[in-house]
Amino acid sequence: MSLRASDVVAGDGNARIFEGGYRPYRGIRLGVGHSVWALARHTIERIMGLKRPARYKVLPFLAVLIAYLPAIAFIGIVALAPPGGGRRILDFVPGPGRYYGFITAAIILFATLAAPEALCPDKRSRFLGVYLASPLNRTTYLLAKAIAVGTVLLLVTLGPPLLLLIGLALQNHGPNGFSDFMGTLGQILVAGVSLSLMFGAISLAVPSLTDRRALASAGSLLLILGSGAITGTVTFGLKGPRNVLALALNRLPFELALRIFTLPGLPTGPEREFGAHSPPLSTAVVVGASVAVTAVAAAVTWWRVVGLEVTR
Amino acid sequence: MFGGVTTVVTGVDVAKRWGSTQALNGASFSVGEGVTGLLGANGAGKTTLLGLILGLHRPDVGTLDVLGHDPWLAGSQVRAKLGYAPEHDALPPDVAAHDVVRHLAELHGLPRREATSRASDALWEVGLGEERFRPVGTMSTGQRQRVKLAQAIVHDPELVLLDEPTDGLDPTQREAMLGLIHHVGADLGMHVVLSSHLLEEVERVSNAVVILEAGRVVAGGGMAELSKADPELVVDLDRDDSDQDPASRLAATLAELGAAATASSPTRVVAVLEGPGIYDVVRDALADGGYSVRRLQRRTASLEEIYLASSGRGAAL
Repeated sequence: MSLRASDVVAGDGNARIFEGGYRPYRGIRLGVGHSVWALARHTIERIMGLKRPARYKVLPFLAVLIAYLPAIAFIGIVALAPPGGGRRILDFVPGPGRYYGFITAAIILFATLAAPEALCPDKRSRFLGVYLASPLNRTTYLLAKAIAVGTVLLLVTLGPPLLLLIGLALQNHGPNGFSDFMGTLGQILVAGVSLSLMFGAISLAVPSLTDRRALASAGSLLLILGSGAITGTVTFGLKGPRNVLALALNRLPFELALRIFTLPGLPTGPEREFGAHSPPLSTAVVVGASVAVTAVAAAVTWWRVVGLEVTR
Repeated sequence: MFGGVTTVVTGVDVAKRWGSTQALNGASFSVGEGVTGLLGANGAGKTTLLGLILGLHRPDVGTLDVLGHDPWLAGSQVRAKLGYAPEHDALPPDVAAHDVVRHLAELHGLPRREATSRASDALWEVGLGEERFRPVGTMSTGQRQRVKLAQAIVHDPELVLLDEPTDGLDPTQREAMLGLIHHVGADLGMHVVLSSHLLEEVERVSNAVVILEAGRVVAGGGMAELSKADPELVVDLDRDDSDQDPASRLAATLAELGAAATASSPTRVVAVLEGPGIYDVVRDALADGGYSVRRLQRRTASLEEIYLASSGRGAAL
């Protein structure tokens, strides 16, 4: 039925205005947990460049792609290897425990990009003051940021070995039997979360010291790679204590992952220095150092965020 | 109670020190309903006071009550009911205005669907309905100030804190922003604290004021109440060749009749209104003296005069 102007003007007096402009909000209000999740989700979107121009998406998506490429390649190799004749090729395909050795650079790169994006812009633009004027306080703010960074890091620490496990299992090249499969799955989950926690804590510590993203990324990279160079020099060059190697932040998280998969550690130095069968660091040292490094990095970040001045 | 209405914020002897700087020094004040101007020069302690109201800092001394709670002890609870627009340009430039406002709504506890709807409503309310999906960085200063106002009101807070909301605006934009602030306080049912160092804009939109000077509250109360203090009667006279200084003659006559009056110029007499009888005294003096009256007006003190009188300053802010 069409509506004519005369119908509107000469109404019977029953017309009602439904749009009353701005209205008071009478709906439910969720608690601080909702605020934490809202900030974490927003930060994840920011880190991944979602809802932002395309140039912000390039680096994070590239890092994620690099982390998944070897897994895709290995699954492809297993699929294409000739039956019975491809044993040597199949031996080359690592299990999920050894997979991290192929994506070390991608994980470190992603961690050093993600954490500065999570913390620095809020401080630089002073939007932190707006966040702290919400139901969040400094601790819950930091919790949301840590959840966000940890979650996006899972994309590269948990996703690729999981994909590899599933891909190999579907082609009968994975663990033998259901219990082995579930055991490996559990190891992947624990290792992925541990790597995410460690790299999350380490990579958040440096951005907490500065409000410049580029400086924070470079600083994090320098800390992670530099610690490896310094500890290597102390242990091998200066023949210092072997346990100092546990402070090599570019290797420690991956050493921990290997122990979770009950694999021996990576060779810890040149064979001529320590011998071909020099024992790796003990698991207790690796676990202790991992906990200590994560705790110290988290404490530094918390101390810095709690001490930030807003609305002075 | 504050001038017969509900008190929103109360501070008693509030002090806060930052290192060697005493930002607040025993400030006692009340903020009531409607729009309250928080007036003071730069460094007077306005932003520190807003931080204390938000529960971001703990007062060194004194007590603060915001919407019935101690903001330091019940920070999250209090801040859920507050909206805040900071002084500086804090909005992320590469994010659409609608996303920023929706995000803040969610942070204040609104479910995602409601936050999306409210963000659009709030941006329409501040006049950015058509522009709401533009990145904040592409907006003018005036538009960004409106986005800040929208994010402060999107969750329908009980109290909105606006820190220098007209900073950087040209006269037209400032006019529009003041209109919006008045609208928020008068029509949307939110109480507003407008922090500013500009007397004129506080006077324009506020129905109460708290004046800070070096960390102390030097005056506070409803605008009507403050401006009623010692109202005056201004008498402008015409002069002629026979009488070049009629004001001095009238002032002397009024003094003889017991009225406090001074000649501020040869043609102007200012008499203090001390009760309704003063009108009769002035009328009779004018009639008996045969003065030619140009204007007779009851004058109330402007905010600037109140500020200057209470702070002991000789210059404007």
